[in-house]
Amino acid sequence: MARRVVITSMGLVSNLGLRSEQVADSFRHDRTHFGQSTMADGIAVSPVPDFDIKAVTGRFKNLRYLNRGAALATAAACRTVKKAALTPEQLSATGLFVGNGPNLDLGDECPDIENGRMAADKLPALWLLRFLPNTAASAIAQLTGVHGDNLSVGTACSASLQAIGEAFRKIKDGYLDTALAGGGDSRLGAGGLLAYQKARALYDGPEEPAAASRPFDTRRSGFVPGEGGAFFLLESLPKAQQRGTRIWAEVVGYGAAMDGGTMTAPHPDGVWAEQAVRSALDEAGLPCEQIEAIAAHGTGTPLNDAMEAALIGRLFRHRPPVLALKSWIGHLASACGAVELALVLSGWRHGILPGIRNLVTPCNPNLNFLRETASGPQPQTLLLENFGFGGQNAALVIKPWNS
Amino acid sequence: MNELKTITTLLVDLLDLENDRIGPQSYLVRDLGMESIDFLELAVSLNSAFQVPVADDVVFLRNLRLFIVQAEEAGEDIAACLQTHYPFLSGRRIAQMANDLAAGPVLQVRDLVAYVRFQTHANKAA
Repeated sequence: MARRVVITSMGLVSNLGLRSEQVADSFRHDRTHFGQSTMADGIAVSPVPDFDIKAVTGRFKNLRYLNRGAALATAAACRTVKKAALTPEQLSATGLFVGNGPNLDLGDECPDIENGRMAADKLPALWLLRFLPNTAASAIAQLTGVHGDNLSVGTACSASLQAIGEAFRKIKDGYLDTALAGGGDSRLGAGGLLAYQKARALYDGPEEPAAASRPFDTRRSGFVPGEGGAFFLLESLPKAQQRGTRIWAEVVGYGAAMDGGTMTAPHPDGVWAEQAVRSALDEAGLPCEQIEAIAAHGTGTPLNDAMEAALIGRLFRHRPPVLALKSWIGHLASACGAVELALVLSGWRHGILPGIRNLVTPCNPNLNFLRETASGPQPQTLLLENFGFGGQNAALVIKPWNS
Repeated sequence: MNELKTITTLLVDLLDLENDRIGPQSYLVRDLGMESIDFLELAVSLNSAFQVPVADDVVFLRNLRLFIVQAEEAGEDIAACLQTHYPFLSGRRIAQMANDLAAGPVLQVRDLVAYVRFQTHANKAA
């Protein structure tokens, strides 16, 4: 029989704060960390200042094999486990689902490449570990003692939401009682910025960095890259209640689909994005009109936001409030789903729903974009959407836990 | 050049250890917990720091026990045989190692120092 699945622990590394009350405070005071990149001229970024993984892990020799994204993931996962207070036996049976992206920091990783040949003597013996997609998972397992069923997910910007969705299903279907799920990413190095610059995906308008990430605004022109990580402990409801642990939220539905259209642009009508959303709603047993808020993917790129606004307008005619968390932290690539979920949960715990920053002229007049940060009663159902390069679509439905 | 100081720094960085945990008589495996992957990294670091060729099997004494068994089987003098394979070690050090084998891997930081010094001299001679 399908089991209910709840989120019982959360670990966050973000420039809005590490703890939910710090994040809520950042929302209240419109505090962000956008600035000019030091790696590329005229590029707005949203870095995590003073990130020090050793403050979380202590001494650990294999940190040498973690690229920055993997380090952010590992720090978030370790914080989650620390707060979860599981026994070593429970940890050992816990699953691990990690969303991560490629290490694009080629210039820093291999500084001496000439005519295609790499200067081998300057590379670490196991330099390949800094590029393998499961290095973060390996480090997390070493540091936390989780040994269960696991998966490293590399589905671009929907990766960490899919990691959470896969963990949810594994628990729901009885394969696991507990699973750690989330992700971490950073594309702020020279290689990452160059990649998205060449793809013409970054904001290149006249605004200052703090106003550059402008999802759903008519004057949007691309995303602002950010970095961070978030993990969650997902747990079957009976186990969580047995442990008497505090519950953050319930995961009630998940869906994923592929465009199979182009390599980067979303399907213009969002046909397959809609399929992902509809499967998540089906699994949740909720009709569209019972969704009370939507945390949109909202990248601030012309194509995504046009497609997504049309999709939301088409499905949700009751006009639930639409959030766009990338206006607060930028686009965290494969980690965006996990970190955006952490921001939603942080807001919920402190009664705050963050408004969309920099939204001056909405690109679609029919949607109920949340323009101002709101306090008070919180939505009782929320849909998260993430869409990625390659035509990846993912959606997750959650409910706050009102004990 | 102070080889010991450089090697200590390499090991501190590589193994994420505190400086004062490492001395010339620290055992690489028994005390510092080195694993095979760490030896791979150390060989790269030694080569890069001292600009000397680093033969992993030799400097890390990988075949030490095999050489002893072979010498025993052939009825040869074990110390003399080891001296041929490990010319960078003193006769006294080889004798110490032979007595210490039962307690685990015998490689110590000072053996790395001896190897690097030996190779540096060989470099200069060439």
